[in-house]
Amino acid sequence: MKTLGIILMSSVVLLGACQGNCKQNSSSKCGDETKKTETTCADKKNDTLKSAQLGDVAPDFSLKNVDETMVSFSNYPEAKGFIVIFSCNHCPYVIAYEDRMIALHTKYAPLGYPVIAINPNDPEVSKGDSFEDMKQRAQEKNFPFVYLFDEGQQIYPKYGATRTPHVFIVNKEKSGNIIRYIGTIDDNYENPDAVTKKYVENALDSLLAGKEISESKTVAIGCTIKTK
Amino acid sequence: MIRYFIVLINVILVSCSGSLNKNSSVRNHTHTQEYILKSVNFEELTSVFLRNNDTLYVINFWATWCKPCVEELPDFMHIQAKYEFTNPFKLILVSLDRPSAFESTLVPLLKKHGITADVYLLDDITRMNEWIPAIDTTWSGAIPATVLFKNKQKLEFHEQQLTKETLQSIISQYL
Repeated sequence: MKTLGIILMSSVVLLGACQGNCKQNSSSKCGDETKKTETTCADKKNDTLKSAQLGDVAPDFSLKNVDETMVSFSNYPEAKGFIVIFSCNHCPYVIAYEDRMIALHTKYAPLGYPVIAINPNDPEVSKGDSFEDMKQRAQEKNFPFVYLFDEGQQIYPKYGATRTPHVFIVNKEKSGNIIRYIGTIDDNYENPDAVTKKYVENALDSLLAGKEISESKTVAIGCTIKTK
Repeated sequence: MIRYFIVLINVILVSCSGSLNKNSSVRNHTHTQEYILKSVNFEELTSVFLRNNDTLYVINFWATWCKPCVEELPDFMHIQAKYEFTNPFKLILVSLDRPSAFESTLVPLLKKHGITADVYLLDDITRMNEWIPAIDTTWSGAIPATVLFKNKQKLEFHEQQLTKETLQSIISQYL
């Protein structure tokens, strides 16, 4: 009886101590450390790597396209800028926008702003987002734009992309390739016919007219970027 | 005997027809607690949790197709079971599924995973750029995301997947 009492007391004490520890550690924790699929750590304040802001120089890259060639900004000497879209195969929000991404490229590439789609996901964590899957999707949908694989997931954190789709409009200026818009494509992912605000088109039209962009930052629901 | 039978049939019919209406309450059979399952816009949603009633509201933004969101739902259920009947606590699951998928996708998933909590489908797509920053200015729009409110005050916001341990240590500060 006495032994049982001691065991019980010890358990209570141990549990109490554990609880205290959990409480202390929770603030520095970034999600689950055990077996679950993890989202990216969204507490950007603790990030040592600063993500790009409006007005910053857009981070350059050299990434593999679905046609196996390497692509960077320098592949487009004639372009006035770029519509960088962090995108993927599996996310329903991207899928809802695929046709609109094609339309954006069709309209704005001839005007100097091609779409550059980049898949930032880790295929080991995100089923359906492997390089082979990307090739297949590009073929099925006949993507007129490049669809690049962010191998090693080095590029998307430099942009501070947190979801798919996530759009960064880059403008070629004297000081370099400058980020002039960050956000979503328009205000209705579900119904293209019910869109009232075409954020990306408005921003591009402003850039083409040499005018100030009225709405340079927007947000929308999207899928987290999949990382280990 | 027959009278009993007739009454029983009527009761079954009434409760069945009640649950077919998508805006009605869903009776959960393991508790006597009734849970809400309906589509709302942003104002209707905030009116649910912006109250001066000393209740801790834990509001989770998720979607059926979002893998980390669905993975963490059992952890939220665990926390609800722990606090629901013994504390002023309310779990609110806000689904960001397509409104057209309410019956075809949302309802079946809730059944499949045994989710017994108040679920609101936030049908307010065109104003995302307004209500996302209204919930939290740091929220990029990625889900899952969880926010805590009590007496109309926002206490915490987390744009990440949470475990029951982390949830517990967050919640226990406010109960």
